[in-house]
Amino acid sequence: MKDSKKKTLLAIAAILFVFQGFFNVQIIHPQWTRDYSLGKQSLASGLGADQAFLELLGFREFLAGMLWVRGDTFFETGNYDAVLPIIRLVTILDPKNIDVYSTGMWHIGYNFTDEEQRSDRRYLPTALALGKEGCANNSETYELYYEEAWLWYHKIDDDYPQAVKWLSIANEHPDITPARKNLMRNALERDGKPEEALQLLYKLKDQAQQDYNQDKNYEARNDLETLINNIDTTVVRLVQRGNIAEKNGWYASGDYDTKNPFDVGFSAKVTVTEPKVIVVEGTWNVLPVGTRVRVILRDANLPHSVPGSMDWDAMATSVQLDPPKNETYMQDQLFVRNRRFNRRIDMSKDPTMYPFSGDKYLIEFYYNPRSAPPHIQDKFGWNGEGMTDSNFLRLDARPDNERVVYTTLEISRDQLLQQGAYAGKVTVLKTKNYHDTAIPTDSLDDVIMVPSLRNSGATSASTSSGAAPGGKAAANAVINSLGGGN
Amino acid sequence: MNAIWAIASSTVGEAIRRKVLLVILLIALLLLSIIPALGVLSARSEMSAMISTIFFVIRFTSALIAIILTIYMIPNEIERRTIYTILCKPVQRWQFLLGKYFGAVLALALMMGIMTALSLVMFWFLKHPDASKMAEVAKQPILYLVEMSLLAAIAIFFSTFVAPLVNFFISTGLWLVGTVLNPLYDSFATNPQTAPIMKTMAKLITSILPNFANYDVKNPILHPGVVIQNEASYYLKTVGYGFMYIAILLILGIVVFDRREV
Repeated sequence: MKDSKKKTLLAIAAILFVFQGFFNVQIIHPQWTRDYSLGKQSLASGLGADQAFLELLGFREFLAGMLWVRGDTFFETGNYDAVLPIIRLVTILDPKNIDVYSTGMWHIGYNFTDEEQRSDRRYLPTALALGKEGCANNSETYELYYEEAWLWYHKIDDDYPQAVKWLSIANEHPDITPARKNLMRNALERDGKPEEALQLLYKLKDQAQQDYNQDKNYEARNDLETLINNIDTTVVRLVQRGNIAEKNGWYASGDYDTKNPFDVGFSAKVTVTEPKVIVVEGTWNVLPVGTRVRVILRDANLPHSVPGSMDWDAMATSVQLDPPKNETYMQDQLFVRNRRFNRRIDMSKDPTMYPFSGDKYLIEFYYNPRSAPPHIQDKFGWNGEGMTDSNFLRLDARPDNERVVYTTLEISRDQLLQQGAYAGKVTVLKTKNYHDTAIPTDSLDDVIMVPSLRNSGATSASTSSGAAPGGKAAANAVINSLGGGN
Repeated sequence: MNAIWAIASSTVGEAIRRKVLLVILLIALLLLSIIPALGVLSARSEMSAMISTIFFVIRFTSALIAIILTIYMIPNEIERRTIYTILCKPVQRWQFLLGKYFGAVLALALMMGIMTALSLVMFWFLKHPDASKMAEVAKQPILYLVEMSLLAAIAIFFSTFVAPLVNFFISTGLWLVGTVLNPLYDSFATNPQTAPIMKTMAKLITSILPNFANYDVKNPILHPGVVIQNEASYYLKTVGYGFMYIAILLILGIVVFDRREV
């Protein structure tokens, strides 16, 4: 070959080489990242050499499957800590594996508990962040949006606008099953928006009716009947609890269940019986079973704390497998029976979960009527309009002047651990109104007579005042005023 | 052209007769036949796991075949002195090299075709997918063929001046690095903690080395919900990129081989 030909060829090769570099980085690569990249996390971080080899060869899904099978054996043996890195690796290797994201969120959110089965809520931001990541990687399906909403609705059980937000996105996806759309109604009710919940039910019922007309199968009929039943229930509650009367201006003249807010008479006493063991007792003047008062013991200066909870969303920025080991956050429920609660909380057996590394702690008591069961809400209303507490009703603890019961007691590390100046001493803390005398249970004068769900609506209102419509008339008024019944 | 075609067709015959390549092909076919049993690894994503494993077996064994087939082509001819009988005829060195390369690509296409056909038949019997799904699955091996042609070009370029064993490690190393270039570059580019110099280095390496990651397009095939914008344009671009890089390597190979004493 002549030298001149060689030079020409080399010049062509040089031009092609420069062009291919530009073409690869500027034109092909952006499109590959947008359409063909499996996820934002990549590379073989955290993998063994053999696993990394498989991953590098594009064998990610297979490797993820093998790891997940391995994780399953850890589940069976209760080695929950070992499952965490596997969940992380599998989601990195196969960001489209929805099952691993949803199982991982559930596992992180629910399975880390102390000896008395209290969740380690320091993991909650991790579970939420994993869910957010899963949603971003699988935005084409409703599933992880729904799982994220469920964590807010069921596990966190407080910041309901978040549950509504995630469910709204889930419900927009065409692949969501009809029955799962119904959770939105509950979330809206707990978010204090029962009328929006009713409107949603009407919309879902219309859709369910269409589906049933097209294919009269068992599932379609079941969904339709459930929705009709839920509409009935919601309409009756809207009437009995006075929401529709309030909206139409006749609340003052009727005898609605939420009228004359009931004083729950909350009081509490905390006794440190042993190091890291407390007994919480107190009063709550609601006789029907179903009240759960939230109690929290946490570092006094815990970042992101809000009354009775944490700003979980602000904390859920990245998937951190290790929760902050130096922070203490215990949350439990005080079950009310016979208008009193009494619970022994032992934090001595779980030093990892309760490190008590700070000097000052807060014991918080929190009750949100939005989380109450329906038979209690029949008196308290969706937003606590039928509930009060002469000492601890707070309107500033939550946005939009939500009516909640909230108070705190301060306690020091020495008191909790019975050390230093408090060595061997039993510390007793009380709210100012606490009284040890048992409330007599033979007199029910001050006890809420919780109404059962009546199908006659606010009948007493119509009979006593004669001004407000009751029963079916009121139900119809609700339907008409909310644009339903079509 | 006749000379190139004659060399290419004889190269295909040689490749078919080589036992080591047939053994690799046999192993690949065995691996493909046991894939259905691996569905247990992914309960709800059984189909994704199956397709992914099929792609892995095809890609990995094809790469092995491409490298082993090409690294010995020219050194063996020189060692056995059979090259003299060819070059003494009116055959130019560049024709010899191109003939060898195209022969290797044809042999590769034949072997990959067998693997793909078996995979598709097995896939159809096990999952009874519709025609569109079958067509989806068939897309990836086509791009793999371009990828393996590029890998063969690398191996044949190095075979003009390095020993086969060294060539094996160079070609394998370049392929392994090339398969992670895109994720590597993305990791550096999106991580705010990466130093600017590192980002520049990553960009430079991605610009210089052959990028095999471009041919990994299984994401939308495994996950049908993923929406792809202008798929045909992407396929054309990557095929164009591959041909461009192959042309560079063949030109360099021709120049180096022309100067070599045989």
